[in-house]
Amino acid sequence: MTRPHFVILASLAVGLTACGGGGGEEQPAGQGQELVIGGDDAAAMASSLYQMPTPNELFAIVRDMAGEGQKRMMNPASNVDRYASLPARALNFGVYATDLVYASYFNLNVEVVRYYLAVKKLGEKVGVQGAFNDNDFVRLEANLTRGNNDSLEAISNEAYYKAYSKLQQEDMGPTLALVLAGGWVESMHLVMHQIISFDPASPLTSRVAEQKVSLEHLLDLMEQYKEDPNVRPWHERLAAIRDIFDHLETKRVPHDGKSSSGRMVLGDDVQVNLTAEQYDQLYKAVEQLREEIVRPEDQASVKPNA
Amino acid sequence: MMQPLFIRTTLLVSALAGSIGLSAQSDCTDYHKFNCERSPDTRFSLNGQSKSASVQVGVPTELNIIVYKGQDYRISLAHDARILGDNLSIRLVEKVREPKAVEETVTEKQAVLDAEGNPTGQEKDLVRSEKKTVYEDVRKVLWDNGEHDMASEIEFSATSSKRLIVEVMAPGATEGKNKKDVDIGCVGILIEHMATPNIGF
Repeated sequence: MTRPHFVILASLAVGLTACGGGGGEEQPAGQGQELVIGGDDAAAMASSLYQMPTPNELFAIVRDMAGEGQKRMMNPASNVDRYASLPARALNFGVYATDLVYASYFNLNVEVVRYYLAVKKLGEKVGVQGAFNDNDFVRLEANLTRGNNDSLEAISNEAYYKAYSKLQQEDMGPTLALVLAGGWVESMHLVMHQIISFDPASPLTSRVAEQKVSLEHLLDLMEQYKEDPNVRPWHERLAAIRDIFDHLETKRVPHDGKSSSGRMVLGDDVQVNLTAEQYDQLYKAVEQLREEIVRPEDQASVKPNA
Repeated sequence: MMQPLFIRTTLLVSALAGSIGLSAQSDCTDYHKFNCERSPDTRFSLNGQSKSASVQVGVPTELNIIVYKGQDYRISLAHDARILGDNLSIRLVEKVREPKAVEETVTEKQAVLDAEGNPTGQEKDLVRSEKKTVYEDVRKVLWDNGEHDMASEIEFSATSSKRLIVEVMAPGATEGKNKKDVDIGCVGILIEHMATPNIGF
């Protein structure tokens, strides 16, 4: 497997078993059950793998509620050469990759090309050069010329996913952790800047509050690398933001019946509430962290995108 | 997410290169791409959290993912039955971060005073307890295929965003002519999603 410390190396095993199976009826949430299949003894040797959602999942959800994209909120592509250390490059690779996906989802078409090139350039410096090739760029330009936004989204996502997979396959765990950290902070920054005035009842606000779970997930993923000197400070900074989320009011209510699609609903309905003060606290913490991440290492200031 | 047509085209090309693909599966990396069937419902898009892994018989393996509110998901698994056995044990478990009140013993140094209340230069330990809130992950089992005819596929709606664990354990193959003398095989977990649609009028 790609992460030997997680999963024992596999021998060649090629078989074909169809993914069949029945559907599921709604099950009550069980508490106090075994932690892991096989019981506590098995838990000690369990292997854990982590996957993060690609940024497009969040942007696809918030696009309809978020208005127009704001290119000035993206990290200027011209800064791409100004990150020299590995952590800064990895973090900003995550930032630029997220900006690329954002640009494609919010129809900032010219920026898509600019940020694709920025991601490709920084990708070469963090060791994922194989994830980008000239054919993809030609496809990107061709679709841009035709105004084919769906394909721009697909190509951007594909670029992100290839880089993500490459980092996994090459056992570049600490780098991947930093890339994902940069991506999470940039996603939060971009989504929070779509909120013009705070409204606790707004769907966009509730999407921000729900990022509590994605941050918890990210920190779980980073946990295994937190002794890495490049990862530790960023893990600590993100944990401080998690502390803010910890204080949000969370209500869990068992779901009654099936969903509007007729499918079973998995688990409780959970509502995470943000007050104006908590939103402000979260906003400031995210912006401060993002500023540290995107600040060019030569310290000269650069104006945001016009 | 990638558009379905685009994904299908990509997968078709991959399938046509099947013989080349077989060698790529030796490390299980793309096992789900070749062995898990996509949903016939074309509204489902491939989710980037899909993953394949090598699994040892009797050793639990967990895939930690995120599901978002307002999305329907389909999770389907495929595995090498010649090594891992006919049916995998599969559970979907939610990880919830919950507050917990704890009482900690705190030891502090206190200066020892003489009869007139002046410091003697010596110190003694002062032990007291302090209440604080810590947060820890609690696991809640939401679905167990042991209660569903060992199904290897599930569709559900997420009405709130959650951290989910797909737990998998393989029983191992029983004796038979196809049984292999190894105990590590590939498991593919294919995840698909779409915005929860409304049905009816």
